[in-house]
Amino acid sequence: MILDLLVQLGEMMVVLLFAPLLTGYVRKVKAHLVGRRGPPLLQSYRDLLRLLRKEVVLAHSASWVFRITPYIVFAATWVAAALVPTFATGLFVSYAADMIAIVALLGSARFMLALAGLDVGTSFGGIGSSREMMIASLAEPAMLMVVFTVALLAGSTQLSSIAVFMQGPDVGLRVSLALALIALVMVAIAENARIPVDNPATHLELTMVHEAMILEYSGRHLAMIELASSVKLLLYVSVIGCVFAPWGIAVSGQGLAAYLAGLAVYLVKLAVGGFLLAVFETAIAKMRVFRVSDFLGAALMLGVLATLLLFVSRVA
Amino acid sequence: MMGAAALALTAALFHVFNHALFKSLLFFGAGAVLGSTGERDMERLGGLIHRMPRTALAFLIGSAAISALPPFNGFVSEWLTFQAILLSPALPQWLLKFLVPAVGALLALSAALAAACFVKAFGITFLGRPRTTLAREAVETDRWSLAAMLAFAALCLLAGILPGYFIDALAPVTQALTGASLPRQEQLDWLTIVPIAQSRSSYNGLLLFFFIVLSAGIGAEVIHRFASASSRRSAAWDCGFPDPSPATQYTAGSFSQPIRRVFGSVVFRASEEVHLPPPGDARPARLQVRLRDVPWDTLYLPVARLVGFAADRLNRLQFLTIRGYLTLVFGALVALLMVLTVWQ
Repeated sequence: MILDLLVQLGEMMVVLLFAPLLTGYVRKVKAHLVGRRGPPLLQSYRDLLRLLRKEVVLAHSASWVFRITPYIVFAATWVAAALVPTFATGLFVSYAADMIAIVALLGSARFMLALAGLDVGTSFGGIGSSREMMIASLAEPAMLMVVFTVALLAGSTQLSSIAVFMQGPDVGLRVSLALALIALVMVAIAENARIPVDNPATHLELTMVHEAMILEYSGRHLAMIELASSVKLLLYVSVIGCVFAPWGIAVSGQGLAAYLAGLAVYLVKLAVGGFLLAVFETAIAKMRVFRVSDFLGAALMLGVLATLLLFVSRVA
Repeated sequence: MMGAAALALTAALFHVFNHALFKSLLFFGAGAVLGSTGERDMERLGGLIHRMPRTALAFLIGSAAISALPPFNGFVSEWLTFQAILLSPALPQWLLKFLVPAVGALLALSAALAAACFVKAFGITFLGRPRTTLAREAVETDRWSLAAMLAFAALCLLAGILPGYFIDALAPVTQALTGASLPRQEQLDWLTIVPIAQSRSSYNGLLLFFFIVLSAGIGAEVIHRFASASSRRSAAWDCGFPDPSPATQYTAGSFSQPIRRVFGSVVFRASEEVHLPPPGDARPARLQVRLRDVPWDTLYLPVARLVGFAADRLNRLQFLTIRGYLTLVFGALVALLMVLTVWQ
């Protein structure tokens, strides 16, 4: 019990501490791939600290929704990330919420952020919110279909149980799992506002979604939102790692050595995930915003197909 | 299978109950806005959160609840429905095997679209800058209406974080209708809800709510201890070119345009037409959007036309002479009696 609580707290801190590093790492690899030196790895931390020291400039028309949103977005994303087994299963709160609840928590964060985009009453905020909700209206069902596929196989919607099942011998190679993995990667790219759906590096393009929504934020509010975005990226990499590459996750009750080994393997997974993301982002061009629906529609169809295959193939 | 039936029925009944809570709350909110501004068109409102802060809070909670967002009640019933769907590969009927995952996908889609809908409803009505004087001069609604709305909002949160008690209250109904009911929820540790088995799925709204509040609190505490606390009010940034006219904000129509283009072209046969005047002509350009409700056009309208046609033809019977009426009554009597004889 006490150990579970300690693991849980450790997990929450790991998620928070490594999230900016992952973002910085992806930026660094991307810069290297196009022949630039890129900012130092720790630049994201410096950015956050600098933002914390800055003054907040609020628009005259900003309401309390605008001011509480950064905290809610940060809290919901952090709690969602804390529910994903990163280096160990058997987390203290893992029974409080399953994979469906994690998707929904991210949905709550997005709901508030979209409202904050509309709050000041500018055209940029509106365009960001409007497009974000369009993307979410396809990405969220696609993600839930992936959850269904994995849950039907593992017989559980709890990520801890899923991770244990996926490590076990009963999994085998399955078409459904392959389809679900592709769908999940597509959703992760869209949800984290990466190329080809959105571009995290631009600020003034009309193609932008996430950056337009948070355009009015400054100072400590912006720091919270940036940190939440980093945590969200880490969360998706962790979910993919935990479900589709569950090797090395320490199971509850093993000794300290297992936990340390789990942590080391987890860092390797993050590095591999971040590297693949950077390669993918460099290799592909940004899409027109109305092509995004085709991209995510494909993810949704793959998810539905994966679920349907399981419904049909399993004999009662 | 009895357990699955009990779970599905519990999910449905709990959702009906939740729907009664948040839908009433949202209608009260709409009524408060209508009473305060005399306006039902969202495009002519905006910025009401500054004039009606308490109504806005209640409406926000209702919007989050209807969009199935945790920690509110809509999420719990949606979650239970998903758990019921995940049990259905064991169903013996093949038709249901195909139908249930499709329904699950549609439910996921509709939850996401509901969130988009209520971002629009709350965002355009309550946030932003007022679009008309009516919205600029709105006043907070009366205390009784506020109490009703806030009570519903509190119930939405309560049913979301303590769903076990509500599920237990539904147990007699599911027992009577399906011959089974979910395990008693209130004795479980920490008020977790477990529809089937602990290893399969569980949800604890109270703990989740507590953790969200705790993390937000930690975040706020760290910020207030270490970050700069200074803030200042200024004009909106808007990439350097803010326009003071409230007409430059996003409207309800423009907010839903991406979704209309993605889904509407198939479901509602949406079409957009842009009328641009020729160069040198100072008339404004016009954007026209046409939406067709296909089920209405193909299902209801033919029936309505048939009824209208029959009514038109029968209308002549209203203007007969007394002789004509007597003949009609006699003829009807003979016809009915003949039908009766043939019947027997």
